[in-house]
Amino acid sequence: MAALVGLRACFSALQLTSPSLLHSSFRLCAVPLSRRTFAAEAKKTYSREKPHVNIGTIGHVDHGKTTLTAAITKVLSGAGGANYKKYEDIDNAPEEKARGITINASHVEYTTANRHYAHTDCPGHADYVKNMITGTAQMDGCILVVAATDGQMPQTREHLLLARQIGVEHVVVFINKADAVEDKEMVELVEIEIRELLTEYGYDGENTPVVIGSALCALENREPELGVNAVMKLLEVVDSYVPLPKRELEKPFLLPIEGVYSIPGRGTVVSGTMERGIIKKGDDAEFVGHNRSLKSVVTGIEMFHKSLDRAEAGDNLGALVRGLKREDVRRGMVMCKPGSIKPHLKVQAQVYVLSKEEGGRHKPFVSNFMPVMFSLTWDMACRITLPADKEMVMPGEDTSLTLTLRQPMVLEKGQRFTLRDGNKTIGTGLVTDILTATDDDKANWG
Amino acid sequence: MSLSFLFRTVTRDVAKVSIRQHAQSLHTGCQLLAAEKALLMKLRKTTGYTFINCKKALEKFDNDIAQAESWLNEQAQKEGWTKANKLEGRKAKEGLIGLFVGDKAAVMVEVNCETDFVARNEKFQQLVKDVAFATLAHHQNIRQSKTGYVKSVLAGEELSKLSVAEGASLADQVALTIGRLGENMSVRRAVTVAVPAEWNIGSYVHGGVSGQTEVVMGRYGALVVFQGGKEGEQEVLGRKLGQHIVGEAPVSLGNMDDLPCGESETRLLPQTFLLDPSRTVAQFLLGQQARVLDFVRFQCGEAASEEAK
Repeated sequence: MAALVGLRACFSALQLTSPSLLHSSFRLCAVPLSRRTFAAEAKKTYSREKPHVNIGTIGHVDHGKTTLTAAITKVLSGAGGANYKKYEDIDNAPEEKARGITINASHVEYTTANRHYAHTDCPGHADYVKNMITGTAQMDGCILVVAATDGQMPQTREHLLLARQIGVEHVVVFINKADAVEDKEMVELVEIEIRELLTEYGYDGENTPVVIGSALCALENREPELGVNAVMKLLEVVDSYVPLPKRELEKPFLLPIEGVYSIPGRGTVVSGTMERGIIKKGDDAEFVGHNRSLKSVVTGIEMFHKSLDRAEAGDNLGALVRGLKREDVRRGMVMCKPGSIKPHLKVQAQVYVLSKEEGGRHKPFVSNFMPVMFSLTWDMACRITLPADKEMVMPGEDTSLTLTLRQPMVLEKGQRFTLRDGNKTIGTGLVTDILTATDDDKANWG
Repeated sequence: MSLSFLFRTVTRDVAKVSIRQHAQSLHTGCQLLAAEKALLMKLRKTTGYTFINCKKALEKFDNDIAQAESWLNEQAQKEGWTKANKLEGRKAKEGLIGLFVGDKAAVMVEVNCETDFVARNEKFQQLVKDVAFATLAHHQNIRQSKTGYVKSVLAGEELSKLSVAEGASLADQVALTIGRLGENMSVRRAVTVAVPAEWNIGSYVHGGVSGQTEVVMGRYGALVVFQGGKEGEQEVLGRKLGQHIVGEAPVSLGNMDDLPCGESETRLLPQTFLLDPSRTVAQFLLGQQARVLDFVRFQCGEAASEEAK
């Protein structure tokens, strides 16, 4: 991309300018070109040996979240588990800043003895919520950073409130800057206080692990007890305290149907990509969606024209099903474990509305706005009802709303969807609750 | 030779003495702390100042909690200023718009901070409130004699010179809050309007924070000055117009008979009305027998990002 832009700039310069300028523009163009090839060579392959966990840091701006992140990468880089990222590298995330879109969070990865971590550091409340909704950085656990010198700040309450709101259940506390306080008692008081606060916000304050240390010491190789060792201890605690997220494979299977074919002599085949779970030959299956519900049995599974006994989440497959006609099933329905999922008409959702810079609309919307909702392989018109205390939603905001579909479709808690209107994407959302539809909701579509 | 020997012994003795002293002071320090601990916790809980300062205060006044507290309060102002100076230059583009509509006068202010966590904090919201009332009071002092339409826009520096209730300047108040919350803050801008008796002021604040009753706060705010409107419905009308202005971000007013030019229209009157897309704002106003005379729109952080460019 950079090279292309460089070339383009070069051509426009060619057309416009005198030979001397032309020379310099060639030089300009040469730099990004060479840099690009280097980048391509340096790419490493991602190894998938260790289970992956998403983790984030929260805390006051001056309490050293970024320093801690830098310290973690430094400590682990010694063992080959990470690339050392300097404070400045993490703090700026230049490309994202330049584009000014989507993820205002810096992403850092590292590996401990047992796990692979993606580490997120978001600067604000709105950024966290946005990441949660769009799914760019769901956090399985987080590290609350508190400076021993200050104790919790008034806004630490807001941090914990947010962690609750976005469903982070496991919080580990890191008391930073312990090197700046002389007596241990002070640190203990900070610890007592933070435990009280955690309990107040519904966390298990008594048993929450608290690690005392100094990220700066770790970075500067001073006082290993507070520095390197504390960071290592923190990572151990995170390893053991934050549980692994439930794998997609362990859930009941779900196959959103992308296409339906009838194969002469064999029967009906549905195709799609397995959303989750494992499917085996002979499994019972249910087809739901588009006001239909049918039961059948999977009699064969094929992938790339080869038959297999077992398919799992992520596989792109065709499944032969017994006793169904091609017209019975259509795109947008799902094949699932019987009874595991149901169609719904009305849901509560948390939606992030894209700003104009992100490709969304520049206008706000109000209640009764009717976009099209896309999720899995289906799309359906829906009507938006704003919560009672909101009158409109501006681009770039997140909000909770009620969505009423024209026809019931497969929806469940935690499912992601996109809202579009005409040729513009309005926003993405996450189903937070299933609501029961009243007769009113059904009648209103005319 | 002897000289150097003498020197060595002397230094050794000195070192010994200093070590002993040090050990002693350390020892007493530990003893003190055991008694102090409960007090320290208490002081920290009631005042909310940082641990290190609470401890300093208690040490200074020999565990007299009342004295310590008053000293902390005095100290807070000073600390606020040093902190404010230290944090100066850090980007503050989150924050809140505060809006207050009184009797034929209204004020809208923007106060910035670094993260939106702080914007949700009561202490910050109290600051926004103080700024709003200080600006309004200042405005009323100047205005006294005049009766017509008055609109005054104040920028950051003028604002910090205004005084709050007890004679302290607004800048002091800001510094105090910076000391407490530990983030850079700035009072960005303010606008006050006052209208003659027969005119009305409509207002709307978007993205609001709950819990504030007197001064409404949020991320967007709009003030509309208009004439006419049906009796008793003026408030609703003003709110609808404010909503439109926040949503469509018009730049200028335009004329009642301007022709709309599509999606990118930036004049208020020919814009499509947000709450009824079948009409333009001008047509809507005709129906309501009202006339918009002026409007102001604030979006949180917009001024800061313009400066950056």
